[in-house]
Amino acid sequence: MYGRKGYQLVKDFASGEKGQLKPFNSKLFDETIEECRQNQRLIQSLMRKMEQEGLDVQNNRNADYYGALVHHLSLIRNKRCLMAYVHNRADIVRDLGWRVGLELPPEIQEKLTTLEKEYFKNHSAAIKSYMGKVGIDLNVDMVPPKDPYIKVRVVGDIDEGIVMSDKTTNFARHSMHFLKRTDAEPYIARGQMEELTG
Amino acid sequence: MAKYYYDIDDILTEEEFAPVLFHKPANGVTIDPSAETNSVEQGAKVELPFWLAHELHLRQAVSINLPACFDQKTRLEIQADAACVDLRSRCPYFYEFGCKLQPLVTDRTLGILLSTAFKIRYKERLTKVFTATHLTASKFLPFLTIEETNLYEAAHLSMTAFKKWRTGGPRFQRASILGRKRKES
Repeated sequence: MYGRKGYQLVKDFASGEKGQLKPFNSKLFDETIEECRQNQRLIQSLMRKMEQEGLDVQNNRNADYYGALVHHLSLIRNKRCLMAYVHNRADIVRDLGWRVGLELPPEIQEKLTTLEKEYFKNHSAAIKSYMGKVGIDLNVDMVPPKDPYIKVRVVGDIDEGIVMSDKTTNFARHSMHFLKRTDAEPYIARGQMEELTG
Repeated sequence: MAKYYYDIDDILTEEEFAPVLFHKPANGVTIDPSAETNSVEQGAKVELPFWLAHELHLRQAVSINLPACFDQKTRLEIQADAACVDLRSRCPYFYEFGCKLQPLVTDRTLGILLSTAFKIRYKERLTKVFTATHLTASKFLPFLTIEETNLYEAAHLSMTAFKKWRTGGPRFQRASILGRKRKES
């Protein structure tokens, strides 16, 4: 059946766990494009056949026309699958900037293609320049704050010697800190700290 | 149409197969498994994915018949007790697919079938979300179509969000896109 590879590609995107990003499936992606090429070759050969028979390709509705039509529709279908795959991934990539922060951790990086990384970089640069212009850091306070300070525990490895807005701190694993909300937020989003309550 | 062009679920819905009857022959295509040559004869009965069947139907090349997932047996089961029918194994996009087919087939009862089935099943699920725990839900979840699963999950999420709001707890969380936390060794 035609349009099979495109379907498999979209299925591959949909089969992942909700809200998770899968590595770019370049094998299926290329196979889909190859299937499009085959469809195109068959359309052309059918068109040529009609021309050789001296028929008007525009208005004739013979068996060759319907054969070419099926290939044309299959090609359009595969195109739609390819576009949807890239489009939906681009949505996720843009969203990353807001949910994970403008610097991507390596486990996400490895799932993106070079083009997607480039896209993310340019998108982050655009957000940064906008935030610079309006003078507000839009990436913090994603959850409405109750208190400017929160208690956190370090759960990941954080490089030493990070200067927070008020002091230098040593973030050893399992140590607890009382930090400014806005400082802690990116670390929590990346899973390096967790909020303590009560 | 443009709104759904990139929609993953819409693409998957249109991959569902429907039986068609060819009114015109077509050359150079291998879509009829019973044909000896790679062509389709006039009057051939073939199963085609909806995206292809629909476009060919618009050009009067084929007529579409009702697929097996809307057959008499399923209808009788839905009439008996809609809430217990395993619709997912019949067609994961039962409602969307039905809605797309409805204007193209001669059967005029399809719309009523869809809306009654949905109403009964929706009511049943909604009460389950509020009463049953998530664990017992696993018993009936495999019977739900994708559309119903999405509704169920939305209801479940809002229930947990409500409980969380009432009891309090950490409001900041690790971004879900990073996946589940790995076990630290």
